[in-house]
Amino acid sequence: MRNYGFGRALARGMAVSTLMVSMMSTSVLGQSVDLSKWSPEYVRSIAGTEEFDTAELCGAVTPLDYEGRLTFWYQGVFEGDPDLLRQYYKDFFEAFRATYPNIELEEQALTYNDLLDKFRTALLGNAGPMVVRLQILGGVEFASKGYLQELSPEDVGWKTEDFWPGAMKSVMWEGKTYGIPTNNETMALIWNADIFERAGLDPEAPPATWDDVVAYSKQIHDKLGVAGYGLVARKNAGNTPYRFMPQLWGYGGGVFDEADPNPTYEEIRLDSDASKQALQASVDMYVRDQSVPVSALTNQQADNQPLFLAGQLGMMISHPSDYNVMLDLQAKATGDDQTKAQTVIDNMRYGLIPTGPDGKRAVVFGGSNIHILNPEYVEGGEVDEAAAKAMVCFWTSPEWSLKMAYAGSNPGNLNGFKTKWMKERLDSIKFLDVTTSMLPYGVPFPTLPETPEIMNIIIPDMLQNALTGAMTVDEAAEDAAEKVRALTEGGGL
Amino acid sequence: MTTLAGHANAPRGSIPARPSILQQMWTSRADYLYVLPAIVVMLIVIAYPIYYTIELSFFKTPPGLQLRDKIFVGADNYTAILSSEVFWRVTINTVIWTLASTLIAFVLGYGAALALHRDFAGRAVLRAILIIPWVISAVAASYIWKWMYHSDFGIIGQVLVQFGFTDRQPNFIDNVHTVLPSLIVVNIWREFPFAMIMIMAGLQTVPEQLLRAARVDGASTWQRFWHVTFPHLRGVSTVTILLLAVANFNSFIIPWIMTGGGPSNASHIWITHIYELAFGRQRWGVAAAYSVLLFVILMALGYFYVRALSGNEKEQGA
Repeated sequence: MRNYGFGRALARGMAVSTLMVSMMSTSVLGQSVDLSKWSPEYVRSIAGTEEFDTAELCGAVTPLDYEGRLTFWYQGVFEGDPDLLRQYYKDFFEAFRATYPNIELEEQALTYNDLLDKFRTALLGNAGPMVVRLQILGGVEFASKGYLQELSPEDVGWKTEDFWPGAMKSVMWEGKTYGIPTNNETMALIWNADIFERAGLDPEAPPATWDDVVAYSKQIHDKLGVAGYGLVARKNAGNTPYRFMPQLWGYGGGVFDEADPNPTYEEIRLDSDASKQALQASVDMYVRDQSVPVSALTNQQADNQPLFLAGQLGMMISHPSDYNVMLDLQAKATGDDQTKAQTVIDNMRYGLIPTGPDGKRAVVFGGSNIHILNPEYVEGGEVDEAAAKAMVCFWTSPEWSLKMAYAGSNPGNLNGFKTKWMKERLDSIKFLDVTTSMLPYGVPFPTLPETPEIMNIIIPDMLQNALTGAMTVDEAAEDAAEKVRALTEGGGL
Repeated sequence: MTTLAGHANAPRGSIPARPSILQQMWTSRADYLYVLPAIVVMLIVIAYPIYYTIELSFFKTPPGLQLRDKIFVGADNYTAILSSEVFWRVTINTVIWTLASTLIAFVLGYGAALALHRDFAGRAVLRAILIIPWVISAVAASYIWKWMYHSDFGIIGQVLVQFGFTDRQPNFIDNVHTVLPSLIVVNIWREFPFAMIMIMAGLQTVPEQLLRAARVDGASTWQRFWHVTFPHLRGVSTVTILLLAVANFNSFIIPWIMTGGGPSNASHIWITHIYELAFGRQRWGVAAAYSVLLFVILMALGYFYVRALSGNEKEQGA
């Protein structure tokens, strides 16, 4: 395994990243870690410098001998996650039960794409769980409707400064805090150096801009006949906005002004020239060059992973955990397939997500948050507050917020970066540096109740309308902008 | 006959008064008591949801409000639906999906039933094989077909390329023009065994002596089918077609799992669209209005179904 080549881009980006970090909060100096110094080197320097005893810390919130009952739903592992993560989820619940042996825990895992639908339905019948861990874009919707209790890090023994300012924004509604970030993720560009080399590209130089992605994708497809870039445009799947929004923001577009330092979400920008340029880039790859998988309209990222491992895909956007996923998939392959997979793994490279034409780099500031529900919406009409806080404290602790994000993302609790497990993780998880380097470029989704519909329905619809030729780029962008306008004004179908 | 003659000869004033409905109910009170538990259950699990859906269809439910804070908008949801471009597109899709799936599955099932009604070696094995698509889980079948149709590596496309029918992998489900026919093929594959079983059951009721008599009279195979078998299967055919039509109108699993209604709404049918409106976009009021419209259509189909069943019973009684 060779070192990844993103040094130059990273160095160029550091100045920008420092600026962006400062924009994310007015009080970065109050953070548990100094975000103004954020860099792979800084992360390495703080890893393993502090120890945290989870049982002791959470015992101060809810006594360890507390007797109670807790129902808990969470966004769990799915088919695209590595086995390593499955093991950590198993370990977490064992550890919780060992620490709080008298809390009767009924947990239920749901996949990213199923959780919102099921949770919404349960709430309509006042049959929700006491505690829920939701994807980052879900919290505001439920907070605005009054389903969630006010809950801040201080309620479970942490400080607000222990969490990324951008992540805290995602749990705020009308100035109040309704949850705590469990993990935060930023993705990176992954490419196959062998495919790059055979296509006549520099194997160690990722595309610097989104225009380069379009050009590289075409070159790879024209030379080798394999898909250049792993476009994903499926509807109702979180994978689609996570991959398209960085492109949209990179070109200077947006749904609103969410990529600005102080967004107001009042101006709709989906039909701006910059947004249309971003959409045009996808159309160029799918329609004009036909250099991406035809199945992009029905694919999720989990479908791109085997393509990449089979050497049929040149580039994709994903988590650092994809390296472990590739190892898991390779272990299941046999004969020649295993050798081919090993070649791909040896040639796997991670780099920063490309910039737009003006040098703007952005990535979705993703992750999940944990919330406690108001009793009237919970099955049985009661919330065991102490048991609920024990779970929230446990998951958001430095230890478990790191372990539960071991391969795929980063700990919600910034103190997780200081633990010995972070040090161990830096040595064992390849390419982690790249995604931690992307964190300062993270743009949170708009903190509006309408965001899930915008990201899961309207954005994919816009892409599909343009990619299938059902609409021109202009029409698709204007149609989507109109839908967002109608939605935010309380109307529309 | 006796009764009619008796009535005809009786003096006008002596015709007994027909008992009122209440009197009839009182006379048959024991029967009503027996069905009361079923009626109570139906009122709870069917009548109330229908009432609530109709009520909800007159309200708006913005994403930032709870359902209980819904806003009364009169018939706005119905107006919005009927003036929406998507509604007409989804309706056309639903009509194509229902008609094509129902008729083709029925014709194939009918043909298979006729073929399997004859005695030949391996008939039982073939019958068991043909029933497989119907007994297999619809979810599993949808995933399998999705992979077989895969626009980059699907086995169907690979076979077509290998045998030279096309020089590149065909695009079945990522294309707005081919996606609906591709899904209809899957639906037909799943449903034709049902039609086959129904018709095979119907074939057991065709009187053998009539077929033998027709053969003695020199009727050809086609004439025996057309003049003896076909009329006897009319009742079961009507019921089968209506059941298939209702099932197809309510179809959800295949389009939702394979395409989620995409690309670009090209495979959305009413049910998937209602699901997306309600659970994906929380437009409970609009989804309820759609459901009311669908309910009316299905009630009409249900009426014809009951009439067909009654017709069958009369034929059998005669």
